[in-house]
Amino acid sequence: MSRITVENVTRRYGDVRAVDGVSLDVAHGDFLVLLGPSGCGKSTLLRMIAGLVSPSDGRVLVDGNDVTEAPARDRDLAMVFQSYALYPHLTVERNIGFPLRARKQRKADIRRRVAEVADILDLGALLDRRPRALSGGQRQRVALGRALVRDPGAFLMDEPLSNLDAQLRTATRTEITELHRRLGRTFVYVTHDQVEAMTMATSVAVLNRGRLEQLGTPTEVYDTPASAFVAGFLGSPPMNLLDAEIVSRDGRLHAVAEGVDVPLGLDHPSHEGEQVRRPAILGVRPEHLSLRPAADAGPAPEAGGVPNGSAPNGSAPNGGAPNGGAPAATLRGSVRSIENLGSEEIAHCRVGAAEVAVRARRPAGFTVGEAVVLTVRPEHTHLFDRESGRRLVWQPDRDPQVPAARVPVAT
Amino acid sequence: MSGMFVEVAPPTLPAPIVAPAAAGGRGRTARRLARRLGRGVVPYLYLVPALGMLIVWIYRPLVETANYSFYSWNLSPTQPATPVGWHNYHRLFTLPELGGSVWRTLLMIIGLLPFTIVIPVVVGLLSREVRGRARSIYQALIFLPFLVAPVASAAVWQWLLSPRTGAVNRATGSSVNWFHERWPALIAITGITGWHVLGFAVVVVAAGLASINGDYAEAASVDGASRWQITRWLTLPLLSPTLVFLVLATALLFAPQWTFPLIDTLTQGGPVDATTNVYYLLWEYGIQSFDAGLASAAGVVFFLGFGLVAAVLLWISERVTIHDD
Repeated sequence: MSRITVENVTRRYGDVRAVDGVSLDVAHGDFLVLLGPSGCGKSTLLRMIAGLVSPSDGRVLVDGNDVTEAPARDRDLAMVFQSYALYPHLTVERNIGFPLRARKQRKADIRRRVAEVADILDLGALLDRRPRALSGGQRQRVALGRALVRDPGAFLMDEPLSNLDAQLRTATRTEITELHRRLGRTFVYVTHDQVEAMTMATSVAVLNRGRLEQLGTPTEVYDTPASAFVAGFLGSPPMNLLDAEIVSRDGRLHAVAEGVDVPLGLDHPSHEGEQVRRPAILGVRPEHLSLRPAADAGPAPEAGGVPNGSAPNGSAPNGGAPNGGAPAATLRGSVRSIENLGSEEIAHCRVGAAEVAVRARRPAGFTVGEAVVLTVRPEHTHLFDRESGRRLVWQPDRDPQVPAARVPVAT
Repeated sequence: MSGMFVEVAPPTLPAPIVAPAAAGGRGRTARRLARRLGRGVVPYLYLVPALGMLIVWIYRPLVETANYSFYSWNLSPTQPATPVGWHNYHRLFTLPELGGSVWRTLLMIIGLLPFTIVIPVVVGLLSREVRGRARSIYQALIFLPFLVAPVASAAVWQWLLSPRTGAVNRATGSSVNWFHERWPALIAITGITGWHVLGFAVVVVAAGLASINGDYAEAASVDGASRWQITRWLTLPLLSPTLVFLVLATALLFAPQWTFPLIDTLTQGGPVDATTNVYYLLWEYGIQSFDAGLASAAGVVFFLGFGLVAAVLLWISERVTIHDD
């Protein structure tokens, strides 16, 4: 049983804050993924939880007990290292049994327990081998076995799959998820791989430059990224981010930029003389754009006649009026290159000064150099503040029935 | 519509590029062969200087030594060397001092091991936390004695260990006559050699410790191991290649050879042969008495003997040590 709480933890190296005031609460049985690019502080945070690095500020609690000053071995946690850290001079059996041996358990008990774990991980035939005689995948399983053997309160994993080839990684991912389901233990898992985060986690903490950008379920961080960083980190290719301005036109809000005019589906009854102009970042996922040739004028097939009552991502809860007659949300540009992914293709288009990726089912039938119009539904647009990068949420003045956004905006 | 299924052919190699017909005929082929030969010879040409040095400075003297061990000769260019068969070897093995000198060499090896293994490991483990500039300064300071010429340090130690006025006896209040009593002389020679090589061993052990991946100790501490358990179960086994190297250096280099200048300047093998090890014996009988045949025979025997010791130690090290990969 382990609930891990991190309170306002900071780690400084000289003037650099590797981890900067991060707070997390991992409930018992959760699978938390710490996600971020290299150098974002995710490994340092994990090592502080493990007790290998001591925080400069803040507290670490396991089941409500302050363990900030406790050495690693008193924390009842197990860790799988990126390098696996298998002891090279010990056999697989002694590697797996090491945590029990360190706790001075009886030899017979150790052997029995190691055999159980080896059985779970299918390592029975390898118990007499040394790590150097194992393949990458087998080493990884031994590292897992060493973590499993003493039934710890929580498992900490530092990029455990990064040394495996793509096929093995997919298989092991499923195995770890299965292990988590069966053991019901708390997992804290560090990765820079968004696929691992999306598929394994019950909650994802996205870190950037030592700070926590967003904490939420995989669905939340993908569908409603709390910042432009999260939006630009998740997805392959990630969300298109364009500098735009929000303007009011005929009582409705549009995001405009060079080649871009996207109605947001929001009413803004402008009083005479009042002009809204707000710099922002417009975000659209590549799979939410549809592509058609520029010559084919007329309303976009998807933008028109869309019922706007339930915007799933909370970014543009419509003020009420249907926008069936509204002009199509459009980005105009030209195709610069096309990537064939087999099932789909990615068209990289230039819109104004920006590069926009579009994901389309094959064959999309476009050629490089062709002028195209990209359309998007208003509810599939995301807006972020230009300065802070935080998500912008529309909050109507007079309509209290619109559900509050789940992600607070810190502008 | 009628038709049939046809298998897709696997990709084939593109047609080989046909070389243009040899217009020059035989002359061109010969030239090509010469060029290919030349290309094959080039790597060996690079090796020639090094191989030449090895042959001139190592292997030729070795062969000559083996040759002279079957002659009687007093090193004088005007005197002819007379062949004596195995006589020199017979004299060597019947030397009354030989057994004693081998035994004292062994004692010196054992006496040096604390300086080359025990103290460096303890110091290395304790000073792991010293980092950065402090570490470099500390290692430079402790390495310094290794660079002092043994003859110079012998003069200083002779002074320090002099029976009445020496600092050591005055500090300890003892009246030991260090270089003129049997056991104290052996201890002094071994101790001074140990003082010389200690810094070297500390630096080697520090490098060995630094090369052990820190992940192991971290993994072990998460696994619940105490510092002492980590040292005993992980650090020392992983340090074993370094330790075997130091044992080898002690047995082959420090005990028999690094002691020599100290013995020669401080005790000349005395008192009563108490500090005569195998190399000093060789020196006394072979070189000092111009007995080239006996010296060569001793050289050959020691060469084979130490070669055997090295082979055994290397064989053991292959067995017991684990190389971190």
